[in-house]
Amino acid sequence: MRYLLLMLSVTFCSLSFSQNTAVSMNETLKFTAAYNMSGIMTDLAEVTMETSPVKTSKATLLRLKCTATTYSKWDNFFKIRDLYESYVSPKSLTPFLYKRDINEGGYYKFMQYTFSHKTNTVKSLKKKRRGNGTIWEENKNITIGSSTNDIVTTIYKMRNLNLAQATKGKKFSLTVIFDNEEYKISVVYLGTETISTGIGSKSCYKLGISVNNSSVLKGSNDNLLWLTADANKIPVYAKFKIAVGNGELKIKSASGLKN
Amino acid sequence: MRKLIIILSIISAVLAVILSVLPVSNLAFIPAILAFILGLVGFYLSNKQEKPKHTVKLAFLLTIIALSISTYKSIFSTSEVGNTEQLEQTEQKSEEEAIEELEGLDLEELDLEELDLEEIDVEELEIEGIDI
Repeated sequence: MRYLLLMLSVTFCSLSFSQNTAVSMNETLKFTAAYNMSGIMTDLAEVTMETSPVKTSKATLLRLKCTATTYSKWDNFFKIRDLYESYVSPKSLTPFLYKRDINEGGYYKFMQYTFSHKTNTVKSLKKKRRGNGTIWEENKNITIGSSTNDIVTTIYKMRNLNLAQATKGKKFSLTVIFDNEEYKISVVYLGTETISTGIGSKSCYKLGISVNNSSVLKGSNDNLLWLTADANKIPVYAKFKIAVGNGELKIKSASGLKN
Repeated sequence: MRKLIIILSIISAVLAVILSVLPVSNLAFIPAILAFILGLVGFYLSNKQEKPKHTVKLAFLLTIIALSISTYKSIFSTSEVGNTEQLEQTEQKSEEEAIEELEGLDLEELDLEELDLEEIDVEELEIEGIDI
């Protein structure tokens, strides 16, 4: 009996771990993205992360939306209007549909993934603009792992990691599908830190992020993310190092939080 | 030597002016300070050798212009998001298309998950009941 109870509580714990406890249905987080130019940080774009409920005839899903917009002074030089979306189950954050629509200084790309969790496959649709302005399409079926998510869902899932009980150095592994390829992301818990942010001084969980089979993010401990050490686990600050330099993401405002 | 320093000072000053009118006006401080220092050296050398100082004065003038533009920009210009009308339209359109796409999808998995949870809740309750 005790054994059965233990088993059940373990199952229940692992289930509650995978449940969404941090993200509300109507949350808006605004960030400023800055890029390091010859040692001087320059504000480049505004990044918004929004959630909203989406009703279909069968269920209510959660829409996770991330947009990146360059500040007006940059628009004449390099205009960015990016939209990343994911439609997920509000309880478990399981993705059903992912869309990416990017417009970066004349470059246009569209990606759509339709997830089928029964068969562990993703139906991918890619659209790209050719030099002459016409758009070409590519359809593909990709087999994925059972715990593979899209990039937007992965960011939100990081907020549901059980960090309160984690010890320093604990590693979490997440799999993400991006550009039709699967990448393994390692998240290392580096302890707590109090930092001053756009929404006040916050005690934060510090995480180190690295992508295992890719060269997108450089260095092993140069990509850091700070999540508030409360039930909401809002990302308040991020530092990243890419091939062409380094930058940071600072929170400006947060509203509609769950807890 | 004097000539070289004055030429370098002028070049840095011009570069500072160019940078100060671009969005990267923060970067203009580096060549502006360089132009100022070189200008001072050039001025000192010209004074010592009793040679004309017009070019040095021009470098100073350009430096002052660059510095004032960049300072003004860094204090008064706030970072504002430009026109996002098109992006908003894309978002709206994308959501409508997504709903259509989701209607066509088999969302059974979602229902299954909820069912699973409910079942576990019931089991847990029953076992708790037995324990008591």
